[in-house]
Order: sequence, then C-alpha cells, then structure tokens
Amino acid sequence: MIEQIRATAREILQNKTVDLVIGYEVGTRGATRPAFICSADEVDRLIWNDACTHNLTNYVRGKRVPPKRDAPPARLGLVLKACDARALNVLLRENQVPRGDLYLIGVVCEGMRQDAGFATRTLGDLQPRCQTCTERVPVVYDSLIGERKTSEVFETSEVWQELDRLGVMTPGERQAFWDAEFARCLRCYACRQVCPACYCVECTAEQLDPEWVGIGICTPEKRFFHTMRAYHLAGRCVGCDECARVCPIGVRLDLLNAWFRREVQQTFDYQAGIDATTLVPLATFKPNENLEL
Amino acid sequence: MAETTFEPRVVGFLCNWCSYAGANLAGTSRIQYAPNIRIIRVPCSGRVDPLFVVKAFQEGADGVLVLGCHPGDCHYRDGNYYARRRYNLMHGFLDFLGVDARRLKIDWVSAAEGKKFAQVVSDFTQQVRELGPNP
Repeated sequence: MIEQIRATAREILQNKTVDLVIGYEVGTRGATRPAFICSADEVDRLIWNDACTHNLTNYVRGKRVPPKRDAPPARLGLVLKACDARALNVLLRENQVPRGDLYLIGVVCEGMRQDAGFATRTLGDLQPRCQTCTERVPVVYDSLIGERKTSEVFETSEVWQELDRLGVMTPGERQAFWDAEFARCLRCYACRQVCPACYCVECTAEQLDPEWVGIGICTPEKRFFHTMRAYHLAGRCVGCDECARVCPIGVRLDLLNAWFRREVQQTFDYQAGIDATTLVPLATFKPNENLEL
Repeated sequence: MAETTFEPRVVGFLCNWCSYAGANLAGTSRIQYAPNIRIIRVPCSGRVDPLFVVKAFQEGADGVLVLGCHPGDCHYRDGNYYARRRYNLMHGFLDFLGVDARRLKIDWVSAAEGKKFAQVVSDFTQQVRELGPNP
C-alpha cells in the first residue's frame, strides 16, 4: 500500500495535477506526522500504517492560501481515510474548498491503534472510533488504494457505553461528572484548532464585540465554551475524535460530540459527511415534522 | 435563619410579533400571572441562539422560557421552524450536561393568547419552584 500511495503521489506531482501532496511520514517514538511533499523526489517520505491517526483535511483550507498575491491557490493532493473523507464532505458542502482543486488519494483504513497518540481507555488495540467503524472505505476519492478486508467490527465501544452510563444518571450526577471534566480544561483551544469543521475566522470564544462568551478560566465559563463548541458541531461532527486525541489533559470531548451524533442520527436520520449535497439538519427544516419540545 | 420561600428567577425570551404581544394582551386584560418572569424581547424565536439559554443558566437563571409564534405563523416565515429543530436538540443536550430538562421550556403563544401566556408562565414558574434553585 505504501508503494501505491507513493506511486500515485509521484504521478500527480510529476504531471502537475497538484502542487502539494499532504500525507503521513515517520514521526518520533513510533508515531507519524503530517508530511508536506512539494516535489516528486520527496515522495518516498510518505508512509502508511496504523498510526496515521491525524485528520489531514484540517490543512485543506490553510495550505491553499497563495504564497504570492496574484498566484493561484495551491492544488492539493490529500491522503484520506474513511473518517477524513466524511470531514472533507462537510467542508465541500459548506463551500470551504473547491472540489476541482483537490486530488484525493483514498486509502482503505483498517483502524488506527490506540497508542498512536490516543490515551488508552478501552480493551482492544483500536481507537474507539475505529472499533465501531463500519465504513473503512472513503466515501469520496479520486483514486482508491487498498482493498476492504472483512475485519471484525465491534457492536459498541467505550464511548457509547459511557454515553449509556451517563444517560441513566440523575441530572445532578451528570453535572458533577461534567464539572469535574471541565474543571481540568486549560482553554488552550487545541480541540478547536485541530477540528476540520471549526474554521471560523473569528471564533465566538474570542469574539470581543459583543464579548458574551467569557474568556475566564473558571468552570462555569469553561462549561459554556464546551457547550458552544459541541453545539456548533451539531450535525457537522464526523466523529474523527481528533479533539479528544489532542486534548492535553483528556477532557471527554468525544462524549459531547458523540451525544450530538447519536441524537442527530436518531431524530433527523442524518449522518455528517456521507455526501456533499445534503443540508445539515439545523440549517433546514420540514414544516410538518413532529418534534418533541 | 428564617425560612423563606424560594422564588425562582425565570428568563423569558419572547418573540416580538406573537408572544410579546400576547404578554401585552395578558397585561391589558388584567390577567394575573407569576411575576417571576424577566422578559427579553427578541425579533423572532429563531433569534434565540441556544447559547443565550446556556448563558442565562450560567448567569443564575432558575428557568428559561422561550416563546414564539405558532409554527406556520412566523413573521419571518420560517424562523420558528429553525428554533424548533435547535431546541429539540438543545433540550436533550442541556439534560446531558446536567441541567434538568424541566428548567427549559419552549412553547408557542400567539398575539391573541393572553390567557395562554399567563397560564404558561404560571405553570412553568410553579414547575421551577418545585425543582428548587438551579445548582
């Protein structure tokens, strides 16, 4: 598979289909890191393994800014997993990047392992998102690499079990749980920076006029920040769990997002990023729907 | 300390065109309702970002009431349809975060429903009073 990725990258760089390929390269201590390949001579840096956990769609917008004023924006080649492909669909739907400027190297993904930067929380080698992933094959790509194996898919993962556990608590117990989580938050905004769907030029959390999201590092204001972050991703979060992975003190952001994903799925029968045409549930409505209030 | 009865602080976001006029009607009709509500007039229930509600709870509200035009009657044609979807999700999410779902209510009150306005406010205030102060 590595050879195929390299060959594809070499080809699209040589025939000038793209100016830049973003993929994975060897990082430190068994991890990988994003690689930015500008010329065909460098493609041998690209690798593929079960530690390629980063969601590279986060780079799609920033890296396209032209270096010179009148230069055309860079065309990108991008190595995509199944969850990344859904994130890209969200960006395409919201007109954040023209599809024509991208060449997508879809890679069939058999799941990322836990110690690839993700705190080990469950049994099993795979990250929780990969344990229940039934997709494996990217939903959007220009060339597909690898074949789908009939690998085992878990019925449930630690995230869904934890959601069920919280679901039967009393509101007071839940509040205690979340207060303990939010109390640890440093407000470093790593969760926001890493999220491909969090792309506002001016984030509500840092908006000064009006300044109604407090910037204080105290639990009520942090609770407000996290409520806002999760709500702004309602129906848009694809569940790549990058926010939870990069959180330096392990706040359970994956639970907040998973709650919204499950609720949106149940209420509106909608899953983010499956295609690039359907509107997000909160951006549309049906006059005669019967919603519980 | 002498035992005082708890009086809840209720914040009401009222749409200008229906519910605020409904509140007006309740007043001019001399209908009695719970004085606990602090009314904030907004152009439309679609203007009430769910984060306003979160903010209200953070700043010490015991209950939040969002009132808008009946579905189909929105002055801006479809603002309350969006509100309906948002609050359908937000209601559950606040509950998931540990805010009792009974502290938030969204309802539809038209300009002619002064009586219903008084009823909704009184019932909701009573419900919040029974729940006690927002922790």
